[in-house]
Amino acid sequence: MYFKVEMVCLGLYAFTFPHNLRVVSRAKHVNNKQNREFNQTAERVPGYHGNSDGFHGPVYQEEAGCIPFSSSVVFRQKMELPETIRKRLDDFSRNILFDQTRTVTFAEENDGFLPHEKPVLSSLQLQMSLYFNMWFFPCWWISETVMLHLKYPALPEYYKFILVTILLLMTLIEAIRLYLGYAGNLQEKVPELAGFWLLTTLLQLPLILFQLFNEAILIQPLERGVHIVLTVFILIQAASGFAALRNMVRHTGSQFHLQQFD
Amino acid sequence: MSAVSSLVPARFLTLIAHLVIVITIFWSRENNVKACLPLNFTQEQYDTEDKKLLVGLGVTLGLFAIELTGFFSGVSMFNSSQSLLSTGVHASASVALLFFLFEQWNCDIYWWILAICSVVPAFVEILLFVAVVGLKKKPL
Repeated sequence: MYFKVEMVCLGLYAFTFPHNLRVVSRAKHVNNKQNREFNQTAERVPGYHGNSDGFHGPVYQEEAGCIPFSSSVVFRQKMELPETIRKRLDDFSRNILFDQTRTVTFAEENDGFLPHEKPVLSSLQLQMSLYFNMWFFPCWWISETVMLHLKYPALPEYYKFILVTILLLMTLIEAIRLYLGYAGNLQEKVPELAGFWLLTTLLQLPLILFQLFNEAILIQPLERGVHIVLTVFILIQAASGFAALRNMVRHTGSQFHLQQFD
Repeated sequence: MSAVSSLVPARFLTLIAHLVIVITIFWSRENNVKACLPLNFTQEQYDTEDKKLLVGLGVTLGLFAIELTGFFSGVSMFNSSQSLLSTGVHASASVALLFFLFEQWNCDIYWWILAICSVVPAFVEILLFVAVVGLKKKPL
């Protein structure tokens, strides 16, 4: 199924990651600067709803066999963040994180586009790191639980409580974070992606750095190994998530802005 | 092709497993170094063997860097033969290094594991790099 499309360039852009790229880039020209060299003649997929305001993600076509990096089946159901949280995250991204009063928005460029020439705003690097993070997470969890169980008697009382709490917290945050990252990136939704980015940088990053650098919790060699891998993932997601969020904020109008005039 | 969607995560997981075990050995190599020394060893002998094992581990990490760049840049991610070779070789390396760690094998054995299970996939990776970047073949 990958081999139907013709590939001009190697590297990240040679294959149809994620599924969204395949669906959205039915055009010959993909204007996103990330995909400058990416040129594929994908067949037209019926039922595609245009991405005019960037908030209604394309309808996914179920295809035979899976495409890695996206589990589009998950997002058929409407499991969205509550509306107030979405509005707050949207405001945060547009007004605090990326101040748009001084930068030229790209809204004017959209007028010259033909309907099928939409820039692809999903970030490939982010999607790849989310996909592999999702696969790596069970390994990390099992390693961490086993090592905590083994070193539990040797820990002081307060660290016993702290480490169990941190393990629970990191599990929960990781699950929510990965879901939001998938939803935000594939469906090009700013609030979800902003939520993902905040969870990554403000919660997960300090927790994993604490586990990696605090020698008082008797860090074992296996823990060092798995924590190093997870830290690399989180750092990559923080960086590429930031870039993806900035791109998305610049290229999409505010979904909530229009509602003020109703 | 559904086979590809399970080959890519399999290759990734075996790569990461091998990497994690190498990092683990890096931090706990003392017993293995002592295993390749005679019963009465001097500190210089210990340091020499330790340094040799460190060099081996460093070379492994370097070869890992080559293979991971090839994998994540997409050059060999969807190449079934390289994926299969890589998965098999890194899985056997993980098991072998697990025994190396737990059974405190001789540190000479590490060079064999390095040669078979790290050099081979990195070498194929370099070949693929040359084929794709140099000869402009398609990366599949």
